[in-house]
Amino acid sequence: MQTYILIAKSVWDQKFAYRLNFILWRVRNVIQFLATYYLWFSVVPVNGSIAGYSQHMMLTYVLGTLLVSAFTLTTALGDVGPEIQNGDLSNSLIRPLNYFMYWMAKDAGDKAANLFFSVIEIALIILLLRPPFYWQTNPWYLLASVICILLAIVMNFLINMILGFIAFWSPEIWAPRFLTMIIIQFLGGSLFPLDIFPKIMVQIFQVLPFQYLVYFPLKVYLGQIPLMQILIGFVTMIVWIGIMWISCQMIWRKGLYVYSAEGR
Amino acid sequence: MKKYIIVWWKLVSATSAIALAARFSAIMFTVGKIVRLGMFLVFLYVIMGKAKTLVGFSQDQIILFFLTFNFVDTLVQMLLREVYRFRGYIVNGTFDGFLTKPISPLFRALFGGGDILDMPMVLIMFLLIAALCIFKIHPSLEGVVLYGLLLVNSFLMAMAFHIFVVGLAIRTTEVDSAIMMYRDITSLGRMPVDIYKEPLRSIITFVIPVGIMMTFPVKFLYGLLNWQSFVLACGLSALFLVLSVVFWRNALRYYTSASS
Repeated sequence: MQTYILIAKSVWDQKFAYRLNFILWRVRNVIQFLATYYLWFSVVPVNGSIAGYSQHMMLTYVLGTLLVSAFTLTTALGDVGPEIQNGDLSNSLIRPLNYFMYWMAKDAGDKAANLFFSVIEIALIILLLRPPFYWQTNPWYLLASVICILLAIVMNFLINMILGFIAFWSPEIWAPRFLTMIIIQFLGGSLFPLDIFPKIMVQIFQVLPFQYLVYFPLKVYLGQIPLMQILIGFVTMIVWIGIMWISCQMIWRKGLYVYSAEGR
Repeated sequence: MKKYIIVWWKLVSATSAIALAARFSAIMFTVGKIVRLGMFLVFLYVIMGKAKTLVGFSQDQIILFFLTFNFVDTLVQMLLREVYRFRGYIVNGTFDGFLTKPISPLFRALFGGGDILDMPMVLIMFLLIAALCIFKIHPSLEGVVLYGLLLVNSFLMAMAFHIFVVGLAIRTTEVDSAIMMYRDITSLGRMPVDIYKEPLRSIITFVIPVGIMMTFPVKFLYGLLNWQSFVLACGLSALFLVLSVVFWRNALRYYTSASS
């Protein structure tokens, strides 16, 4: 375990070694956030509501996406595919490490650094913009949203791992990742709450795993989902994680058969 | 001029051949971009259907702001894609080759490799803008002419920013963060800058003129701005262009050819 903690720490240190790059990446996140924030600020009237969202609920949702995305969507796993492609996977295979645990540790270091900065960003945004914020006081909803976030982290890890494993068979790894990221950005709810759409579209979103990455944890935090539906959501997430885990293991094993350490 | 057109065509043909060699990726990237555009449009239709107006603009007008931003943004990316590769040329010394050729190194740095994968998006956006104007917005002829002229002005302004970036690459070997920062800041122009509060609105109108690049053309189409604003837009873009070229020339003096 000590080894994996050190790996996570090395990623953390790496982020701070290239401080300017990392800070600029976070500044970019804030700029993107401002675009979404002001759009909703203008769309939702101060004393009215849109699609059941009052202004403070909507702005809490938008602000929440910054924090939840730092937990669930940031990832170091973009390097899995290139590592397979250039043969560096061989180094990982001969080390006395569990490959999945190795990347989990790297992912944890990456998330910790992103989270550290996103907390500072949110504090600054609250201080400067003073948005009307909805504080959830019910401990059950708070606990449920934390559980959702933890499950979402695992889901995103498995999605990214599967995307990285495409490199076993194809050198064209960036295009599928690009398309998946676009789909996650929209259908995950990181730009807007999904229930503003017509009911039929919401039902389609519910069948897919993406809404559990950002939208579901935030809806739980806002207390807009009944407890029974939260439990159903947990079960659905666990089923998705199970399906993805089995798929990931199968793809990994089959991938290792065709891996030829090309590039070494 | 003819020489430059021939060189540009040859360079674009070469980079297009490379891009199309990976057909699967080319298709996936194009599909991804179309999906992103489609999803944004659905989103705008849905929220504008509920809100009716946004800072005084109707659903169709807001969609035109969004399409105009995308048109300018994608056109700039399509034509000036080489800027994204420029850091590599500095780091590995390829830029030495640019300096020895009988064409402007700045032209080579900016236009040396257009991205053909953005071509379908530019066409789609152009058709959507044309359809929206013909069937929904019905602008005046004067509005259309000013809109077209200001789109050219937006492109020149974007080009000035890209010249700053390649100049910066020579001085610091940094491109990626600067160009992505430029793109994120311009993305604030997806919607009319009127939605932002002060001082952000003034900053993105006059200091980093996102408003002039993205919002002004559409406002002229709707007949909402006067000729003084037109002069301001053109004057500012000329100023940016001159300053960027001065910066580029100054940066060239610091090129040491260290990597070759």
